[in-house]
Amino acid sequence: MGHYIELSAFDLFLAVGLIVIASVISVSLRLGLTRSLVVAASRCMLQLGAIGIVLKKIFQINSPILVMGWLAIMLVMAAREAVRRSKSKYRGINMDALSTMTFTSLVVGLLVTQVVIKVRPWYDPQYVIPIFGMIFGNSLNGICLCLDRFLEYLRSRKQEVELRLCFGATRQEAVIEGARQAVRTGMIPIINNMTVAGIVSLPGMMTGQIVAGASPVQAVAYQIVIMFMIAASNALGAMLLATLAARRLISNYGIELNEK
Amino acid sequence: MDETQSSKEGSEVKGLYCGPIDFTDPMGRRLLKGITISFTPPTLCVITGPSGSGKTSLLKAISGLNKARVSERRLGNIAYPDKRLPEWRSKVTLLLQDAPCIEGTIRDNLAFPFSFKNALGKEFSEKKALVLLKRVRLDHFDLDHPVNGLSGGERHRLSLVRGLLWAPPVLLADEPLSGLEPELAQVCYELLYEFSRKRPAVVICVLHQERFARQADTVLRLKDGTLH
Repeated sequence: MGHYIELSAFDLFLAVGLIVIASVISVSLRLGLTRSLVVAASRCMLQLGAIGIVLKKIFQINSPILVMGWLAIMLVMAAREAVRRSKSKYRGINMDALSTMTFTSLVVGLLVTQVVIKVRPWYDPQYVIPIFGMIFGNSLNGICLCLDRFLEYLRSRKQEVELRLCFGATRQEAVIEGARQAVRTGMIPIINNMTVAGIVSLPGMMTGQIVAGASPVQAVAYQIVIMFMIAASNALGAMLLATLAARRLISNYGIELNEK
Repeated sequence: MDETQSSKEGSEVKGLYCGPIDFTDPMGRRLLKGITISFTPPTLCVITGPSGSGKTSLLKAISGLNKARVSERRLGNIAYPDKRLPEWRSKVTLLLQDAPCIEGTIRDNLAFPFSFKNALGKEFSEKKALVLLKRVRLDHFDLDHPVNGLSGGERHRLSLVRGLLWAPPVLLADEPLSGLEPELAQVCYELLYEFSRKRPAVVICVLHQERFARQADTVLRLKDGTLH
């Protein structure tokens, strides 16, 4: 790895000045955001600070159990956030979100870390934690979008689903169109991101690696892997969740939304 | 209709047996009290009754689209327990009261059931579709016409054509003639009658037009949870 400029506490203090600029704008335009802004900035500092300390410890101890444990915590938090963000909920949504994210991140994460990057030792936190973190964060997004779209479909097209059932459709056949739309919706963000990658935006991970001194070509290589990984996890996650949700929401008798 | 095919299937599938059916609606009213339905083709049965008496619930219960307690569903000597409901519905097909459509064209709406696993190789015939559409006077529409502009009456006629093209051994129709002018209603009713004879099939119609009841093989009245 190449050289990078280390940040001191004083440098961070200077960065607070940037939040002050945002606050001044909020106050002068009466956006009513000042409070939220300050709270958000503080939370951001505290949370990231805490993570910094925890990650430092995990990196030092370098034990597979600890790494797995940390990933499990991230996974549960991500699943909870996915449920919290989606507009409508149903009985069993927590379980569905958790199992979807577990399966998706295991499949995609293991493929990327063990087959593509070949991390050694297999649990090396320097690679495993950020990569799984990116899978969690992105499939969370995909899952939310997919879930909202799917429940919206079931609600607005209840009669169409019933009509299909009347003519002998299986449960899957009755909602396949809705699932299709939902998975499509879940995949749009990553498709957009891949389309503009490098032109409109330099993706975060790549930027980070360049700042940390990696060669731009290597940074790009990693970023491509990451983008494809996100595409795979979004597709897999959205599909799986739509399937699980359909199993819960469509009974033999038709749609039962069981909304909370 | 292909006569050889229909007679073959007709001999395969004998009578419809469904019951006893018990149904209590979500408001706690006991709408159906141990009703048993049993018919052999060809039959055209008309069910009438005051509104709110549970006619729609009865058809939905037969088709398995509500949580009615139905002890047994049988076609000939083949029983269809709950896990075989999709297969049952492909043979005992309900035309819903509101005549819903799927998004898409008239062709999409007539052909979609044939894509299901339970269609078992039945094929959509455009020729038959055009003949039926002409009979119900929807032939001014192209098959590629989108359905979202259709009126209520047009949707009902489309729903009827969908059912007749699908040609199941048992057809349940929930107010198939609503929203139609008398002359068209007569045409549609005759189509249902013809279908019951030619296939031969069991057709059960919920109707509020009493005048049609006279031409039916059986007329039942649903009142106080039982059929009279």
